[in-house]
Amino acid sequence: MALTTAEPGLSRARRGVAPGGPGGTANRKSKLSAQTSRTFFWLLLPSVILLVLIHGYPLIHAGVQATHDGSLIETGNFVGGENFATVLSSPAFWKAAQFTLLFTIVGVFGSWLVGLGLALLLRTKIPAGGTFKVLLLLPWVVPIVVSSTAWNWLVATPDSLVPSLFRNLGLGTPLFLADPHLAAITVMVFKVWVSFPFMMMMISAALASVDTTVYEAASMDGATPWQQFSQITLPLIARSTYISWILMTIFCVNDFPTIYLLTGGGPVSATTSLVVLAYRTVFQDFATGPGVAIAFLMTMTLVVISVLLYRQIRKSSVE
Amino acid sequence: MTIKSSATSTAFSRRGFLGFAAAAGAAPLLAACGGGSASQSSATGVVKFWDMPWATPAYNEAAKNIAEGYAPASGNLKASYQTIQWNNFYQTFSSAIASKTGPAVSTGGGFQAFQFEQQGQIAYADKVIDKLKENGQFADFLPGVLEPFKSDKGYVAVPWQLDMRVFWYRKSLFEQAGVGLPTDWPSLLEAGKALKKIGAFGFTTGAGAGNNYGNHSMIMMMVNNGGGVFTKEGELDLMNDRNVEAIEFILELVSNGIVDPAAVSYTTDNMSAQWKDKKAGFGLFQVNVPQRVGDTSGDLLVADPITGPHGDKATIVFPNNIMMYKNTPSQEASEAFLVYYLGQLKELWRQKLMSALPVFKSITEIPEFADDPNNVKIVKDWQPIAKTFASQGNTLNANLAALDGGQALNQFTQTILTGQSDAKSALQTFESSLKSVIKK
Repeated sequence: MALTTAEPGLSRARRGVAPGGPGGTANRKSKLSAQTSRTFFWLLLPSVILLVLIHGYPLIHAGVQATHDGSLIETGNFVGGENFATVLSSPAFWKAAQFTLLFTIVGVFGSWLVGLGLALLLRTKIPAGGTFKVLLLLPWVVPIVVSSTAWNWLVATPDSLVPSLFRNLGLGTPLFLADPHLAAITVMVFKVWVSFPFMMMMISAALASVDTTVYEAASMDGATPWQQFSQITLPLIARSTYISWILMTIFCVNDFPTIYLLTGGGPVSATTSLVVLAYRTVFQDFATGPGVAIAFLMTMTLVVISVLLYRQIRKSSVE
Repeated sequence: MTIKSSATSTAFSRRGFLGFAAAAGAAPLLAACGGGSASQSSATGVVKFWDMPWATPAYNEAAKNIAEGYAPASGNLKASYQTIQWNNFYQTFSSAIASKTGPAVSTGGGFQAFQFEQQGQIAYADKVIDKLKENGQFADFLPGVLEPFKSDKGYVAVPWQLDMRVFWYRKSLFEQAGVGLPTDWPSLLEAGKALKKIGAFGFTTGAGAGNNYGNHSMIMMMVNNGGGVFTKEGELDLMNDRNVEAIEFILELVSNGIVDPAAVSYTTDNMSAQWKDKKAGFGLFQVNVPQRVGDTSGDLLVADPITGPHGDKATIVFPNNIMMYKNTPSQEASEAFLVYYLGQLKELWRQKLMSALPVFKSITEIPEFADDPNNVKIVKDWQPIAKTFASQGNTLNANLAALDGGQALNQFTQTILTGQSDAKSALQTFESSLKSVIKK
């Protein structure tokens, strides 16, 4: 019954419709004069040229490397799509792709859930909330080299702090970085730990822009706290959420140091992501063409994912 | 009139701005097009010497003083010194060489000279060797250190230090375990079992992020059994019986708990910590372990080389080298500087800055080096039996770079240390992975 009563109010609140109606929609589009358009064009042109050079040149050069059998110095012979075929037929590539997918899913949604929980918690009146906020930012602020060293110290050997704790609790001595499954889990937990402050800040900023009177109105309409969260909070921060998901997806797929510094991609490739594989292929196996081909495939996948998520943002904006 | 004047002024200003912006935009383009001429090196008028952080920052300071203290004979050029970090060093060198802004002379990765030689970037050092013959330094080289650098076309580089792999042991742990030092493989197994009873490990190694000691342990045991990755002719030869036997033995050490089960993920710092915390009783490491680990009590000592089941006795060594590049303001100046620098190396060991063996006998005799009995033992017992990564072949080559630190060897080592495979299957996978990355 309360739900039925609450629905219209919630719906209006979610759409940001103030009491009294939606109001007039002002047409903010104004036609620019041809002269002004030309001026804008010429003013933008240098920046566009620079951007094309900065992004375009490496992209073209990488394209050349991916289709040749050369090195970092020599272009080598044209081999067409051979490097791509080699990469796509390699079990190592698919194993790395599988880990990258899992790492990204856990990294994005794990950090989002932790960040959301903490952002909601910090929104309430708790003692020393500001101090907590600063402390919670530390994993994001501290250089990754420092935090990976700290995590290594915590888990690397059987006598490290965390394995010792497990042993004292009668849970055996887990080898967090030596066991392939545990190493994969450890790397993902590390990623969530490093990334949740970013999510927390994004969500905090989004929550700060939500008018508290919306909640008051929903309460008056009989909405439960869960209904307020699921039907007001989440929809109102949806745009920020999708943006943060896009960014975190890019961060996770491209994340080299988190993995490489903690495990180097091991043991036995258990934590080798595509970016680590690309690095190792180019700089450790000195196979430039296949390594760049991996990077190309990664970029294409990222573009597709980003476009899909971006469409979701536009959809949520329209709603 | 005022309006026209104003409009003219605005138009002029806008065009001026656009012109400026276009010029600014074109500048990097022009720079990119114009960059990469050999003139950059010659314009500076110095021999650019790039060096790696081989030890503590004090080493680089001392090396810089040597390089910049070079007073060339008239007509030759002075030298500049630059430290290059190990992170992405190959990319750093490659980019610089490709853009003709690289060094004239450098240290670098163990097989870097051969990689760049393959790409036509290296200046051969035959004239340097001739000058070393003239000044007496040639005769001062320790036996066998120069030969691996001689290719069909000439000397690709000149060695300047030896990164040896030798067995170390902690004396107090052997005393506590009541077991003698290993002299061969069976006694290594027995010592490992005895050490395990007191909570220590008898084959200390590591194959975690950036740690190659595990890889080196694998190759060392193969070589110690008369095997190796290549034949004497340089052909890939991983599946030989000696290699299989060596890897089966390491698997036996793993299954008996003589290798730390977490070793597969150990960084070099983790390994050092195991040595310091008296968890490591015996294992392969570098020169100057007490200093590296931070225990100079005299409890950490170099062991005798062990004998393989067929009577072989060998270890591996990485002869680090100095190379010259074709892109130089003057080849004569590069050669003169290199001869000078090799003549000054003694100073680095005199100041106790190095964690490697010198290549010159005279340096092994200076008190600052010879006062350490571990150093003396390495020179006397280990250096003569040391073989390169090219074993059983004698000459180094570019493919060794893909072997050392490459994915194939690292995967293989981690597979063995986790005991996930039998020796033959692991070696087969290793061989097929290696075949895909080495150039014919």
